[in-house]
Amino acid sequence: MKSDLIREKPQREPWFAARRDLSPRRASLLTLLSFALPLLVWSAVSYLPFLWHPDMELQISADRENVTTVYVAGDRMSQDFFPEFQESVRQQNKALEAALASFDPAAEAPNGASVRRANKKILRHLAPLLISNGWITEKQAKDDAIIYDAWGRIATGAKLPTRPRLSDENLAIAAINWSAMSKVSPTYASDRFISVPLLSLVPQGRSANPDYLPAPHEVVITGIKDFTAPPEAERPSMWQRVGHSIRIVFGGFLLAALVGVPIGVLCGTYPVFSKLIEPFTDFFRYMPAPTFSTLLVAIFLANDAPKVALVFVGTIFQLILVVSNTTRRLEMPLLEAAQTLGAKQRQLLTHVVIPGILPNLYNDLRILLGWAWTWLVIAELVGVKSGLTEFIETQGRWRNFDSVYPVIILIGLIGFFTDQILSAFSRIFFPWTAEAGGKPNPIVRAILFIPRWFRDAAAERIPYRPETRTRQTGEA
Amino acid sequence: MQTLVDHLSYREQSDAVRSRFEAMKQRPVVLSVRNLYKTFPTPGGSVTALKDVSFDVYRREFMCVIGPSGCGKSTLIRILAGLEDSSAGQVLLDGNPVSGPGPDRGMVFQSYTLFPWLTVKQNVMFGPRMAGQKGAAVEGEARQWIDLVGLSRFENSYPHQLSGGMKQRVAIARALANRPRILLMDEPFGALDAQTRCQMQSYLLQIWKNLDITILFITHDLDEAAYLSDRILVLKANPGEVNEIIEVPVPRPRTPAQFVSPEFIATKYRIDHLIHPETAAETDSIPFPRMTVAGDDVE
Ligand SMILES: Nc1ncnc2c1ncn2[C@@H]1O[C@H](COP(=O)(O)OP(=O)(O)OP(=O)(O)O)[C@@H](O)[C@H]1O
Ligand SMILES: [Mg+2]
Repeated sequence: MKSDLIREKPQREPWFAARRDLSPRRASLLTLLSFALPLLVWSAVSYLPFLWHPDMELQISADRENVTTVYVAGDRMSQDFFPEFQESVRQQNKALEAALASFDPAAEAPNGASVRRANKKILRHLAPLLISNGWITEKQAKDDAIIYDAWGRIATGAKLPTRPRLSDENLAIAAINWSAMSKVSPTYASDRFISVPLLSLVPQGRSANPDYLPAPHEVVITGIKDFTAPPEAERPSMWQRVGHSIRIVFGGFLLAALVGVPIGVLCGTYPVFSKLIEPFTDFFRYMPAPTFSTLLVAIFLANDAPKVALVFVGTIFQLILVVSNTTRRLEMPLLEAAQTLGAKQRQLLTHVVIPGILPNLYNDLRILLGWAWTWLVIAELVGVKSGLTEFIETQGRWRNFDSVYPVIILIGLIGFFTDQILSAFSRIFFPWTAEAGGKPNPIVRAILFIPRWFRDAAAERIPYRPETRTRQTGEA
Repeated sequence: MQTLVDHLSYREQSDAVRSRFEAMKQRPVVLSVRNLYKTFPTPGGSVTALKDVSFDVYRREFMCVIGPSGCGKSTLIRILAGLEDSSAGQVLLDGNPVSGPGPDRGMVFQSYTLFPWLTVKQNVMFGPRMAGQKGAAVEGEARQWIDLVGLSRFENSYPHQLSGGMKQRVAIARALANRPRILLMDEPFGALDAQTRCQMQSYLLQIWKNLDITILFITHDLDEAAYLSDRILVLKANPGEVNEIIEVPVPRPRTPAQFVSPEFIATKYRIDHLIHPETAAETDSIPFPRMTVAGDDVE
C-alpha cells in the first residue's frame, strides 16, 4: 500500500538544480546537442539566404574592359557591388551591339587578332555553366569546339541550361552573338573565328556567404577530396602531414614530460629543489616560446628538431610548475602516517608521493598535452614550413578556405579524442579514485566499451575473481 | 547528581580496582614524558602549547588524554610520535630517548589517512613492507589483523569503498601490524556518529584486552575517556599543563551498562569540573533572542 503511494508521486527532475547530476539520458542528450547546435547554426547561416549572405557567388565568369580584376565563376563579390557590375557590362554591350549587327562576315576587321583573342575568352565564359549543367566535363572547359557548339544550341533554343538557368537577358545576348558567329562559321574553326567584338554575358550569381565561411557540404566534399588525394612529388599526402604534425606535438610533449615530471615531483616533495628551481622556471615561462624560434633553428638546424624543441620549450616550464603544485597538494597526513609506519625519506617518495599523485599527475599531463597542441602551428612555421600548417598556410593564401576548415576540424578532433580516450583509460588505470566509481559521460562510455567488453569476456572464462567480489560498501 | 557526587568521590576505589592499579604500577614504564615544553613561533609572538608536561605510561595501560580544545593534546601526541620536535624536555620509550617518527610508535589520526591507492590488505601490509618484509607470511599476517578488526570481507576493497568507521578500523589494523610498543590515537573516532563511535570503543577495548598493547588515546569526550581508560591525563589550556591524572575507579571489564554506575558518573563529574570550571556561570550570561514569528508566541 505504502509503496504504491511512493510510486505514484510524480518524478519531477528539475533541469536547473545547482550541482545536481542530470539523468544519464539527459546528459547524453545534452552532449549530443553540444555538438549538434554549433553545426546547426553553421548550416542555418550557410543555407538560409536571409540570415546573412552578404555576397554574390558568380555562376558565369565575367570581366570588363579596362578593369584589371578578373572575376571567374565561383568568385564572390559584395551584394552592393553586384548590380553596379552588371550595369557596367550592359553599358559595354550596348556600345558594341550596332557594330555586331551590321558587320560584314567576309571582311577582316582591322585589329582582328587581338579581338579574336578577347572573343575566345567570352566564348569560354559559358564553360562553368556548361560544367555545372553536366554538358561538359571539367577537362573540356578549354575545348572551344564543344563550347562553340553549346552556344549554338542555347541560342537556337535547341537545349537550355537549367542548373542554373540563363537569364533572358543572357539568352538574348547568346542569340545575338551566335547569329554573328554562325555567319562566319557554323562550327568552330580557330582560323575562321569572328573578329568583331562579341557581347559579354551579364554576370549571374546567387547569394552566398563570404569565402571564409564555406557551407558544411563544401567543407565535407573538399575535405574528402583533399584527404583521398594521393601524394605527389614534393607534396606529401594529407595523412602523411597529419602523421608529421602528431609526431612533432607528441615528440615535444613526451620529451617535456620525461624531463619535467621528475623535476616537478622533486620540487613538490623537497623544498630544496622547489626553492632552487621554481623561481627561475616561473620567470622563464613568461618568455613566449615563439621568441626562441630563430634561436632554436640556429641550435638544432633544419628538419624537425627545432620544431620539437619549440613544443618542448613551450610546454616544459608550465609542466614543472603544474606537477610540483599537484605534488604539494598530496595531503601531508598521508606522509606523516607513512612515517609513523616506518617509511624512510626515500620510501616516502617512492611509496607515498608517487603513487599518491599518479591520478592527478595523469590528469595534469592530459591538460598539458592539449597545451602542447597549441604550439603546433608556430612549431611548424619554424624553419621550413611543414605538416598541416604548411597546407593551411598555402590554401589560406589562395583563399581556399573549404580546404582549410577540414584540417582545422581534424586537429580539433585528434586533440578531443586523445583527451577523451586518456580520460576513459584513467578509470582503468586508477580504480581507487572516487571518480572511477561515478558514471562516465557518453563519449567515455563509448570509448570504454571495447576494453570493458574484453575484460568481461575474460571474466566469464575465469570463474572466481576476488577483486570484483568485494565491491560492496557499508558496515559489515 | 550533586548529592551523588558528594556521597561518592572518584578517589574511592574498590579493592579490586585498587589492586589492579597497584599491579599496573609494578609493570615497567613504556613511555615516559619528562618536563616537556613546546612553543610555536608565530607572527604575533610565540605561543606556548605545552608547559612542563611529565607523566608515565605503564606497560599494557590504557591512558586517555583529555582537555579543552586547543590545550595542546594534538601537539603532545605529535611530539610523542616524532612528527614534531619538542622545545625542551624528553620523551623516553622503554628508557631510550626518541627522535623522529618510527614504527615502534603506531599512530591513528583523526583524519582518514589510509592510502587511497592501496587495498585494505595492502594498507595493512604497508609497515612490514617498509621494513623490507616480503612474501606470503606478511600477507597471512595482514589477513589476521584484518580479521581482528572484522573486515576480512573487505580485504580487497579500496578505502573509498569503506565507511568512516571501517576506515578507522583498517587504520588501527595497519598500526598494529607493525607490532608497536605503544599505540597513539588522536581523537580517532571524533568524526564518527555516536552509534558507530560506541561500537568502535567496544572494538578497541576488545583489541586492547586481547593484545599485549599499551594505548595513549586523545579525546575530548568525557564518556569516551571514562569508559576506555585506566588513567586519564587532564590538561589545562593556555598553556597546556598537566592538571591532574585521574585513576578511573570503574571496574573492568567495562560494559556500556556502567555508563550510569556511580563511579563512572563521579569520574565524569570530576573531569567536567576540571575542564569547564565556570560552565554554569557562562551560560547564564548569554542573552537569548526569542525565535518567534509575530503572533505565535505561546508563552
Ligand atoms: N603549527 C602551529 N603553529 C602555531 N601554533 C600552533 C601550531 N600548532 C598548534 N598551535 C597552537 O598550539 C595550541 C595547541 O594546539 P593543538 O592542536 O595541540 O590543540 P588540541 O588540544 O589538539 O585542540 P583540539 O581539541 O581542538 O584538537 C593551539 O593554541 C594552537 O593554536
Ligand atoms: Mg587536536
